[in-house]
Amino acid sequence: MEPLIQAFGLVFDPFVLAVIAVSALFGMFVGAMPGLTATMATALLVPVTFFMPPVPALGAIVTATAMAIFAGDIPAAMLRMPGTPASAAYTDESYAMTQKGQLNLNMGVNLVFSVAGGLIGVAVLIAAAPVLAEFALNFSSFEYFWLACLGLTCAVFLTNADPVKGFLSLFIGLLLATIGIDPSAGFPRFTFGEVELMQGVNFIATMIGMFAVSELLRGVTSLRDTGQVIVQQVGNMFRGLGDVARRYWFNFLRGSAIGTVIGALPGAGADIAAWISYAVSKRFSKEPEKFGTGHVEGIVDSTSANNSALGSAWIPALVFGIPGDSITAIVIGVLYMKGMNPGPTVFTENPQLIYAVFLIFILANLIMLPLGWAAIKSARQVLRTPRNILLPVILLFCIVGSFAMTNSLYGVAIMLVMGLFGWFLESHGIPVAPLILGLVLGEMLEQTFVQNMIKTDGNLIAFFSRPIAGALGIATVLIWAIMILRVLRPTRGGILRA
Amino acid sequence: MRLNDALLGALLIGFAGWVWWLTGFFPRFPGQDYGPNLFPRILAAGIGLCGVALVLRGLWARGPLISLEDWIRDPARLLSFLLLPGAVLFYIFFSDWLGFIPTAFVLLLTLFLWFRARPVVALPVAAGMTLLMHWLFAGLMRVPLPRGLMDSFL
Repeated sequence: MEPLIQAFGLVFDPFVLAVIAVSALFGMFVGAMPGLTATMATALLVPVTFFMPPVPALGAIVTATAMAIFAGDIPAAMLRMPGTPASAAYTDESYAMTQKGQLNLNMGVNLVFSVAGGLIGVAVLIAAAPVLAEFALNFSSFEYFWLACLGLTCAVFLTNADPVKGFLSLFIGLLLATIGIDPSAGFPRFTFGEVELMQGVNFIATMIGMFAVSELLRGVTSLRDTGQVIVQQVGNMFRGLGDVARRYWFNFLRGSAIGTVIGALPGAGADIAAWISYAVSKRFSKEPEKFGTGHVEGIVDSTSANNSALGSAWIPALVFGIPGDSITAIVIGVLYMKGMNPGPTVFTENPQLIYAVFLIFILANLIMLPLGWAAIKSARQVLRTPRNILLPVILLFCIVGSFAMTNSLYGVAIMLVMGLFGWFLESHGIPVAPLILGLVLGEMLEQTFVQNMIKTDGNLIAFFSRPIAGALGIATVLIWAIMILRVLRPTRGGILRA
Repeated sequence: MRLNDALLGALLIGFAGWVWWLTGFFPRFPGQDYGPNLFPRILAAGIGLCGVALVLRGLWARGPLISLEDWIRDPARLLSFLLLPGAVLFYIFFSDWLGFIPTAFVLLLTLFLWFRARPVVALPVAAGMTLLMHWLFAGLMRVPLPRGLMDSFL
């Protein structure tokens, strides 16, 4: 009980609450601007939160991402442009509703079900994480090795229909993680005599490059000829919501459940959750023919799913140190910087910090209701923010943020190289998310792998000898087998094409 | 710009070979079979395999070696694209000498004007954002942003 009281004290502190309020506005803005993603919001926040104690730092990230994932629904409905990739699954459906004159209802549904779905994800996080943590206390290097493998495999399996390019991205990420002093022998690898590279590639500068700079590079070529946006004013968005809730309560529960599970799976986050729950909704609907014509049913499923995925993505991140999506990959980086190494011991050593994260999650979802309402009402003004002013300002922010991470131009150089590299990868259809997860998990994977090799004297069968490790290992190998089959028979599409 | 899968794969095979060659210089420890070169070599092998798969696929599909998107042929759009890395390079090479405030101001103003913001808007926003950024990072967070020419004023 005492840690909970401490947590209340930590969260309901004027500075923390102010940070939460500012990050909420920031998240709403970034989420609502097409081309700026929730992951980008997180990457840009980190340099600022770097100088804060852990609770406001994590609070800023939790709040900003929750708002951004909801706010992505606003331009989807108004402009047919998803504000973040998490809204892409139902952008056409939302826009079709707007064209039918149902923008008010659409916004109401998106807001209320985002909040409710988010709360379900948080509830599962609160219930599951401490239990899993207790369980994970007995894990050895074998379990962690397979968990890392399974997480990385899921990242490739779920995000991309082309396993070759997914694995390529993953291997490059893992290789980047080997730069610097090696964990077992202390030998500097791939540093080419550069002192700055000894501590490895700076993770946050890499994230800013991959998720912000590469996005700017993609948006910049059409920047000189963007016209004015015209957006409708939203009226009473809560009228008719009761009917939707009565009719589609099961869709809400199913969407939230799918979102929670996908979010908790390492490597897949809110965007995949939305795609899958939309596809499930269509397949099991009584009126599948109405999908795509501005039908609210699929929106209920998927808008609940993407927000519920956000909370549950923190389960593997906090308990095992394995990111649930690219946002929690950054969170893990932040936790290490704050000396709160993620893993089951955090739950026993610093329970008040964990409770504080839970409280902030609840708080963020509750304030989403009034703030989201305000954001929808002011969308006309916000969406008119000129992009030719916004993009250069974000670029300067990226530069200063990366500089702040290393206090030297090395951070800026890393950011530039990674930005160009990320842009190059994406233009070749190579996903960036596996690379980022590889970079985060590389050290853990290598360390546990080498430890296990030494323990078993190179006998790979012994990697499966403990029951949980064996189960995780078999699951991983099975997914590998499915993916190899998919490569050999490429005509069959992945889940996302369903 | 998009490279053909075959060309991309060939580059990757070369890269994997180079990584493998570099790991040859890592030290070995007597009695320890699994040294610092084990993991990078597995990854190099993985990248090489992906490269082989891409080469096979690219040869099978027989597309052009390099395909260019439309925007690369349009000089104005190409310049828009190149301006972003150009701006970062400008910061890297000039911020120490000029100092943060002049560098950031010039950087923002150039980009604003190139992207067709009106000078009435561009000038005050560039000045305001530069000072805001400086206050936030140098003032509040104590990041040692370069002072350069402004050293005597600050």
